[in-house]
Amino acid sequence: MIEQLDALLAQLDALQERALRELEAINSSAELEDWDVRYLGRHRGELKNFSTLIPKLGKAERPVIGQKINAVKERLESALEARRQELRDRELREALERERLDVTLPGRAVPAGHMHPISRTILEVARIFTRMGFQVVQGPEVETDYYNFQALNIPADHPARDMQDTFWVVPGQILLRTQTSPMQIRVMQATRPPIRVIVPGKVFRHEAIDASHEAMFHQIEGLLVDEQCTMANLKGSLARFAREMFGEDRRVRFRGSYFPFTEPSAEVDIDCILCKGSGCRLCKYTGWLEVLGSGMVHPRVLREVGYDPRKYRGYAFGMGVERIAMLKYAIGEIRLFSGNDLRFLRQF
Amino acid sequence: MRVPLSWLKEYVEITQSPEELAHTLTMAGLEVEALDYVGADWGDRVITAQITHLEKVPGSDHLSYTRINTGSGEIGVICGAPNIKEGDKVPLALPGARLGDLTIGVARKMGYVSEGMLCSPRELGLGGDHSGIFILDPETPLGVKLADLLSDVVLEFAIKAHRGDLSSVIGIAREVAALTHKPLRLPEPRFREQGQPAAELVKVTVEDTELCPRYSARVIGGVNIGPSPGWMARRLLMAGMRPINLIVDITNYVMLEVGQPLHAFDYDLVREQHIIVRRARDGEEITTLDGVQRRLRGDMLLITDPQGPTAIAGVMGSAVSEVNEGTTRILLESANFKPVSIRRTAVALGLRTESSSRFEKGLDPELTVFGANRAAQLMAELAGGQVHPGIVDVYPRPVEQRTILFSPSEVEWLTGLKVTSRQVHDALSALEFKVEEVSAAADAAGGEQLLRVAVPTFRGDIEEGADLVEEVLRMIGYDQLPAIVPEGPLPESQSDHWFEREYEVREILIGLGLHEILTYAMTSRQRMLNLLAEVNARTAQVLLQKPADDGQAGWITAGTEASASSGNGVAADSKEPFEARSLPAVTITNPLSNELECMRLTLLSGLMETLQENSKRNRAGLRLFEIGRRYLPRGAGELPEERRCVGIALCGPAAISWVPELARPADFYDLKGVVEALLERLHIKRYRFTPVQHPIFHPGRSAVLEVERSGPDGGERFTPVGFLGEVHPLVQQRYDLPHRTYLCELDLETLYAAVPDRLSYAPISRHQELTRDLAVIVDQQVPARAVQEAIERHGGELLRTVALFDVYTGAPIPPGKKSLTYTLLYQAQDRTLTDAEANTLQEGIVAALREEFGAVLRS
Repeated sequence: MIEQLDALLAQLDALQERALRELEAINSSAELEDWDVRYLGRHRGELKNFSTLIPKLGKAERPVIGQKINAVKERLESALEARRQELRDRELREALERERLDVTLPGRAVPAGHMHPISRTILEVARIFTRMGFQVVQGPEVETDYYNFQALNIPADHPARDMQDTFWVVPGQILLRTQTSPMQIRVMQATRPPIRVIVPGKVFRHEAIDASHEAMFHQIEGLLVDEQCTMANLKGSLARFAREMFGEDRRVRFRGSYFPFTEPSAEVDIDCILCKGSGCRLCKYTGWLEVLGSGMVHPRVLREVGYDPRKYRGYAFGMGVERIAMLKYAIGEIRLFSGNDLRFLRQF
Repeated sequence: MRVPLSWLKEYVEITQSPEELAHTLTMAGLEVEALDYVGADWGDRVITAQITHLEKVPGSDHLSYTRINTGSGEIGVICGAPNIKEGDKVPLALPGARLGDLTIGVARKMGYVSEGMLCSPRELGLGGDHSGIFILDPETPLGVKLADLLSDVVLEFAIKAHRGDLSSVIGIAREVAALTHKPLRLPEPRFREQGQPAAELVKVTVEDTELCPRYSARVIGGVNIGPSPGWMARRLLMAGMRPINLIVDITNYVMLEVGQPLHAFDYDLVREQHIIVRRARDGEEITTLDGVQRRLRGDMLLITDPQGPTAIAGVMGSAVSEVNEGTTRILLESANFKPVSIRRTAVALGLRTESSSRFEKGLDPELTVFGANRAAQLMAELAGGQVHPGIVDVYPRPVEQRTILFSPSEVEWLTGLKVTSRQVHDALSALEFKVEEVSAAADAAGGEQLLRVAVPTFRGDIEEGADLVEEVLRMIGYDQLPAIVPEGPLPESQSDHWFEREYEVREILIGLGLHEILTYAMTSRQRMLNLLAEVNARTAQVLLQKPADDGQAGWITAGTEASASSGNGVAADSKEPFEARSLPAVTITNPLSNELECMRLTLLSGLMETLQENSKRNRAGLRLFEIGRRYLPRGAGELPEERRCVGIALCGPAAISWVPELARPADFYDLKGVVEALLERLHIKRYRFTPVQHPIFHPGRSAVLEVERSGPDGGERFTPVGFLGEVHPLVQQRYDLPHRTYLCELDLETLYAAVPDRLSYAPISRHQELTRDLAVIVDQQVPARAVQEAIERHGGELLRTVALFDVYTGAPIPPGKKSLTYTLLYQAQDRTLTDAEANTLQEGIVAALREEFGAVLRS
């Protein structure tokens, strides 16, 4: 019996060794399943065949063989599991490898549009002033002579009309607005102080078109009226605007000027964004760039809308959007804005 | 206004450099636009010289050969100028000199060697005169660097419209004196009067004293008409005027110097020696000195004698009594005219002169006598004239000096700048205002010190306190203003939100891959009519259409004739030939060109033209939009209706791409997808697209978009917002576009009327959803929208969503039919639906589709 026992144990060892060797050579899950059935199958598996021998063994041998069978079974099962995992890993690896992409190919384009630089500039200016409590309003682009000129202290036959050559729809009565200032009147008529508005929009001048003149361009008007506003506030607002728009270290300079609807009037310069004031071609070697016109609302204009100039004070300013954009983006040619060349527009 | 520094220095001491002076003046509101350094380029190669010999060049009609004494030798120079003679002293540019763009060299011409160039004023940079060589004073030394004698700096001013007083060298000098605290030195005209009194020699009648508040005249006899002395000619040239003859030059010189325009008549040619200032008769004619015959209007002022007009007052004289070579006696006019009248006349005649531009800014009536005396003095000194005693001076209502009661605290009130009464006093006094302190008790201003300020008569622009504040600020300096961000109360909301809305649409469309363009609001009728495949009175109407509150009136839909008649002014007859000018539009009476003769009625022509421009250089397609206004004419004398719109254009592939789907040219559904995405982003849920016949578009590929909004009666109705479609092939061809092109124009105001005022959250159902697919076969002609609406109608509330996910034609679907496949999602808000419920609903839908469209379920 001992010999028989030893022989059985040796066979089990041999079985284990053979099974493991075969397992090593297996490369596909199908073969793996065959191997599983062949050695570990519940009905015809080779190990099962040994189990069927147990009842024929003596009482003393049975547990020995039983334990041995279990040990072999566990060994094979864990080897199978390990091998299975290895194969799975490898197959996944290979599958992933097959799916390798050329990540340097351009992406599937989601077309991206661009905002026109004028719209972009207006938005930027509007944001700066809305942070200071201003509201944005718009007005008619075809205007009456009254709003565009007369109410702004520019009567008919006044030489100040030369400053703004006009496109007429009905001569003397209806025109393409030459400035956004008529909205000063419309806003003051429509409401009462306190007033803080900015007015962006198209304006029109009867001018020959060249590299720095357009017959249609854009302005942004500003108007603040209350009972305490002074020219120092105008300077404070515009200094803040200049810093936010053109950089934290920008300085502003006020100098005397003339607009029929402001008194006192001031031209506003910023120190040159290119040379920082030392003088260059952009600033014509003055160190300063003219950016807008401004002043305190003229008492005549206040009286025109029924405001008492001894009670209410206000400031107004107007800037050319193209001018601001040209300075901000270093554009040397105003006609680019209405040219709508995509090679230009895509840069904004 | 050009002011030579050397001239300015005659009236005020200047210690600053020209650049510093320019800065001082600019800061005070007298903007110096440029400094012109006359003679800066002359160097030592431009010298004084004399013509010693002159001969005509044989074979040339204008060239002369001259021998020139350079002071240290003699050279030969060829010259083409007509005004030189032997003995003249002239500026000579030697080889190597550079004048502007010109470099002088030795030249060989017609057998002569020319070793330099004689210079005209323009070549020297002394003004614009190029009619001849600049002849120097006879006393000029020879061989001297011209720069040592004549170089100067000219300040160029832009004189503002309210300061007529600054249009003179003395006016500028007065500001310089005030700003630099120096005394002003005015010339004091002194001369001997002799002979018969002027009042016996000339009679002046001013018929219209409103247009001519003052007319002063002097008579000067025995004048010699010759050329002006070199110093005067030079000043005139540098100031931008051309020397003519001594008398005319003196009047111009005095105008430049003191700002008073003068006119010199030949006394003996003034008929009956009687000057009559009157309005022109309508249609009266005069030939002005420029040789142009001009028809006058009744509101224009004339200087006449009893036999007819001799000058247009303040604008230009005529040949009738012009000073000429034989003139010996001068009738000198120094008058004041009403600015508005002069301006109106000058504008109406298209004749702007040095004189008119001064008068229209307003001049001081007190200046006439000073101007006349200064000219008389110069005529006596330079032309040997005898000044007859007295001035004939018609001045019925002398100008009153204006006084303003001014509180120094107004400066701080308006500017935030603290100033003392003393500072105000000094600033105004420096500008020749007379300032007087008024006792505080005399006024109710709370015991505050008040000033009575007398405004000089030459400062007609100063009317009230704010004007004085500006004067004080100019003197103290704008740079003294503090900068304080405004505090103060914030206003109530008064925005109409259109700014934000336009930017919302802008951002959405940019997010959808469209580029924003900005085109001219001005266009031409023809440019807009180019959009139409066929132009006639009926098709042209689409350019004027607008959404109306009463539904579809005025809007072309589905090609119905009924909707084509409307009160928009275009005769709705398609047989009549159509002329572009009969298209109603806001017309510009003075357009820059025929291409910009009216305001646009549509954004689409600008979009098409931009496509055309860009398609020449773009291989990828174009996706553009513009947000702007259409200008629809209303009644005569009324402002047009400005409608906010968005226009969209697609043409060609979205991108140059290796991905076939992206490289595919845009089609109708790309455009519709853009529009639907816009609607989705604006939360507009109720809308529909309906086929439409539209003259811009392919007849089978265009639609009108309608949104549902509440009407005036409170009921809901669909209102047209705009249209979209594939551009008609004839139109595409007209614009040379390489791809089929898609256009859309939407009225933003109508669109936003359909945007919900507020969004409210609908709870998400926790109950299970059931999905059912539905594939039906219907006739090709059945619109997908009709099927979809039928499904929605019969699915009722429990049918949550319907989505079309397949459209198919071809075998095995029978010809003339199409298969539409939908996925339907059923869900209840309050319970779990059973399969049976969903099936019943589904069967109901199928039955309804069979009923309505003869639909067959696809197996």
